[in-house]
Amino acid sequence: MRMKVTVRYFARYRSIVGKSEEELEVPDGITVGELIDILKERHPVLKNEVFAEEDDLADVNVSRNGRYVRFDEVLRDGDIVAIFPPVSGG
Amino acid sequence: MLSERELERYDRQIMIFGREGQEKLKNSKVAVVGVGGLGSPVAYYLAAAGIGTLLLIDEQEPELSNLNRQILHWEEDVGKNPKPLSAKWKLERFNSDIKIETFVGRLTAGNIDDVLDGIDVIVDCLDNFATRFLLDDYAHRKRIPLVHGAVEGTFGQVTTIVPGLTKSLREVFGSVREKSGKFPIIGATAGVVGSIQAMEVLKLLTGIGEPLTNRLLIIDLAYNTFDVVELR
Repeated sequence: MRMKVTVRYFARYRSIVGKSEEELEVPDGITVGELIDILKERHPVLKNEVFAEEDDLADVNVSRNGRYVRFDEVLRDGDIVAIFPPVSGG
Repeated sequence: MLSERELERYDRQIMIFGREGQEKLKNSKVAVVGVGGLGSPVAYYLAAAGIGTLLLIDEQEPELSNLNRQILHWEEDVGKNPKPLSAKWKLERFNSDIKIETFVGRLTAGNIDDVLDGIDVIVDCLDNFATRFLLDDYAHRKRIPLVHGAVEGTFGQVTTIVPGLTKSLREVFGSVREKSGKFPIIGATAGVVGSIQAMEVLKLLTGIGEPLTNRLLIIDLAYNTFDVVELR
């Protein structure tokens, strides 16, 4: 079974991926963390330049349908997932 | 009590806050932690709004490469006047009805209780999460609101932490990896984010509107996006 999710890219991720959002078909019932893995495969530039090495997801914040979520949250068909990098400058 | 001069000076915002709200601002003490890209617009607008006492905290002196965004510091301050003192000099001439206090030094677990004693709202204008978490811990221990802002390039984020009502900054950004060294930044980005932070302070103190509690505002000025993510 497959489901559709919309992924929205914010800030640095948007610049790197080159688009603000895309709709993806992914396996039913995957978690946020598994979606991130799919995104890294799809956009290697994310793997190399944005997400930490060794599959460390530390530097990614994710919202699902406008609500901040953790990586173990399970996604459903039609979800809108936004990924954004926390910034730290002042 | 507001003087005749203050009633005239703040006339256009008393239309929004009422005299009572303006009195609240006058009787408030707000800490601006970090007097750089964010701290400059935050301190400037809070001084303009008539916050009775501003406490400015920073340990650095301005560098020439700071001036593209740190608009409270001028060429004559570069390498000379620590940022809190540089800012104090201008803000006192801008609004002589308010009090500007300064702390030139680094906030530590050892001094934070003394330095921030009596503060009503803390504004996070820092450039690193290590010190942010120190502020976060203090805010929760003393149950004081903390307005978080951060910028990079054309991006920015703002959320308001209210102990007992919202997650802590650590819960939201606990796994942020610190970047070191220079990051790109346009002054106007800091201007927008700092102005939103100043607005948060005014909302918290006067009760108007809805602060960004349990919500994270994420902006990208390159692409005109303003998004609010629920943090609950």
